[in-house]
This record gives sequence, C-alpha cells and structure tokens, in this order.
Amino acid sequence: MMRDTQRWNLLQRKAQQAKSVRAVEVLRSAGIEPILIKGVAAAQFYPTDKYRFSIDTDLAVSDADFDKANSLCRSPAAAGMAIDLHRALRHLDTVEWQNLFKNSRLLDFEEGNIRVLRPEDNLRVLCVHWLTDGGVYKERLWDVYYSIANRPADFDWDRFLGVVSDRRRRWLICTLGLATRYLGLDLSDTPIKDEASELPKWLTDAVDTEWADDVKPRPLEASLNDSKVLIEQVKRRFSPNPIRATIEMEGSFDARTRFFYRLGNFFMRIPSSYRRVSGTLRAR
Amino acid sequence: MNTNPTARKNDLVVQETSDEVLVYDLKTSKAHCLNSSAAMIWRSCNGSNTVSDIVREFEKNGIGSVSEDFVWLAIDQLNENDLLENKNASRYNGHSRRHALKTIGLATAVALPVIASLMAPQQALGAISCACQADINCMGLTGCPSQMVCNVNFVCAPQPMPPIS
Repeated sequence: MMRDTQRWNLLQRKAQQAKSVRAVEVLRSAGIEPILIKGVAAAQFYPTDKYRFSIDTDLAVSDADFDKANSLCRSPAAAGMAIDLHRALRHLDTVEWQNLFKNSRLLDFEEGNIRVLRPEDNLRVLCVHWLTDGGVYKERLWDVYYSIANRPADFDWDRFLGVVSDRRRRWLICTLGLATRYLGLDLSDTPIKDEASELPKWLTDAVDTEWADDVKPRPLEASLNDSKVLIEQVKRRFSPNPIRATIEMEGSFDARTRFFYRLGNFFMRIPSSYRRVSGTLRAR
Repeated sequence: MNTNPTARKNDLVVQETSDEVLVYDLKTSKAHCLNSSAAMIWRSCNGSNTVSDIVREFEKNGIGSVSEDFVWLAIDQLNENDLLENKNASRYNGHSRRHALKTIGLATAVALPVIASLMAPQQALGAISCACQADINCMGLTGCPSQMVCNVNFVCAPQPMPPIS
C-alpha cells in the first residue's frame, strides 16, 4: 500500500506535466515552439516519488516570437495557466538561442511532449537561476543535485562548462560545490571534483545567512499593503544579496570584495523597482 | 437523454497504481484516491453500461458477487466528487444510504467502494528541504541523501567536505 506522501507526489508530478503540456499547446497553436525551463525540465531528473513543487510554467521563446507569445499568454486561451514567459534566456545563459534550440530535445509525457534544453544546457540555466535568486531557496538546490546525480551517461562536461566565459564557468562549478557541501552531492567521479571543493568563504557565508533569515525577498510592489513587510523588503534592498549582486553585475566569484558589485547592483535596481512600484500605485 | 453513468474524462489527470487509482481534478485542484472497487465501477461507467451491467461485470471479472446497492454506493461518491459527466440520483431500493451501507457490508466479501480525498501531506514539503535538527528527524526521509545523519548544516546528508578556501 502506498503512503499518502507517495500518492500525492506521484499525482502532483503527473498533474504538473499535464499543465505544462497545456501551456505549451497554447503557443504551439500559433506556430510558436517554446522551450520549457525549470518546472518539469528540472523535475525530469528527480526520483519518481519526489515532487518538485512549482507555481507556474516557465516558457522561453525566441526574441522574434516574444510579442506574439506574450499576447497569447494574456488571452483567454491561457487563462489560469500561470505562464511565466521569457524572452529567450537573457541573463540565464549566454549561449545563442539558435544554438540552444538546435540542441534542445522533446520530453514525452502521456498528455503530449514538451521541448526542453539538453541536460548540460538545462543544468547551466538551473545553476544561474538559483544564483540569481541569491541562493535563498535551499530546496531549489535539489534541482542541481538531481541533475548531476541522475545525469545521463553521455553527459558532456565540455558542453556544460566549455561554452561560457571563465567567470560563468566558475559560477557553475561553485553551485555544484554548494550542492556537495550542503546536500551531499557526490562529485568524486567528475572532472570538477577538486575545483568544486574550493568554495569562496563569502559565498558559503552568504548562503548560511540567507538560509537562516526568515525574511525572504519578495517584489516591492507586492509588499505595499503591509508596512512591516515593506520596511523589511526595503531594508533588504539597502543591503543587496552578494550572490545576486555578483551575478547581475556579471562579476567574479573570486574578486577580493563584494562591495562594488553590491553598490552597482543597488543603483542598477532602482529604476526597475521605481517603475514597478509606481506602476502598481497608478493602477490602484 | 442518456441516464447511464458516464465517467468524466476532461480536465482529469489519472494515475493507476497496482491497487488503486489516483485522480487529480485540474479544474478544482482536488485529488482523490479510488480503491479497487470504486475504480472498477468508475471504469465501467462508459455511458452504455447500466447499473445491472456493472454488477455483471464484477462477476464476469471474477472479483465477486455484488448488489446494485453496492454499485450505487460508488456512483454516489463519484457524483459527490464530480467524477461523472451526469448526475445520477441514488436508488437504494427505497432505503437510505446508511441503511444500504449496513446491508451491503454484511452481504459482500468485496471491499466496499471508497473514494478518499488526498491532502498535501506536511511531510511532502518537509522532505523536499530535508531540514533537520537531530539524526532522528532523518529517519524515514527516503528521498534525502542520508536517513541517519543530520549533518552540521542541519541537512539529512553526510557531513560536508571539511576545508573551504
């Protein structure tokens, strides 16, 4: 007899696949072929009895298709589907969209198929996405863990690490190193086992600090109704997360200080924060 | 108009396991677990089978002998959980459901049809993070790297590598 947890995970996993196929079909109906990132693309490497919780479906389309896809996602056909549309992969990866698309593959499910990145590209995106979130979400580090632990036998390390800059290469190796340090990921049979053990102290300090902090980042515009939450979130902005700041400033993990990245990131974020908050206030 | 029970197919995600059927309703986000008897009856609700036909299917499949009230008991629950296309008012030979339940229970050796709601278990979320305070918290967390060691970072995993630069 199955336990409730196993039942729940099995069913949710399948429901998520069905929802994702439906979201993809909305764009396919208009001749747009999206690539799904995160969600079931990450969950494909999880053990079958583990459910990777997600609230939306992240779909990336080419720059040329973005406007059309965006209209579709706002149409009644996509109502309730919670599609998070991405214009290609922007900061998540520096490899050309055409290259990523050419190397992508179709994942088959009972309800249909979904295009995802090849495992090496997929893992790069998961790593950079986790870092862009400032390493705040401990549970999402499992995406990285399982992508390596259950990687295909022909996983190409050169495709994973050799197609990006040295700085990004270091980001990726450090993320795998964090999965080893905190989740016990075994890298002993990989070509990066030594490099991954050399984690900068500021990085592990930042992760420890974030995981111990009960105040998680949330959009300022979503914090306007609660002054306490708003103050907490503003305080967070005045002391930018060093991991996120480094990534957004395309910085080096081995630079001697985070100060300039954090300062630059603080000013860089002001215009977009202002736009989103003022837009929300105007819409009221 | 067709009054025979018809299983709903749209907006449902169905996962069959060895002894039960799990159903997730994409419209309401509700999850159900049908035991083997309920699942068998649900599968037989094809719009052309009458309740008597479904009773015969039970016998034909060698599952055992059941009464029409037995099938109605399942149809009642399928109705309540919105798993049928058409609503079918229950007909327990003029008795109440409670009375029918008593007589069915005594008269059949086949497991009564049961549809249970599935709730998100706390453990499902807890297991994702594998957070722990002590070794004992890791016992039973089968998806974690270790089911015995709560390491220095409060994760159910082996102790991390010692040196960092």
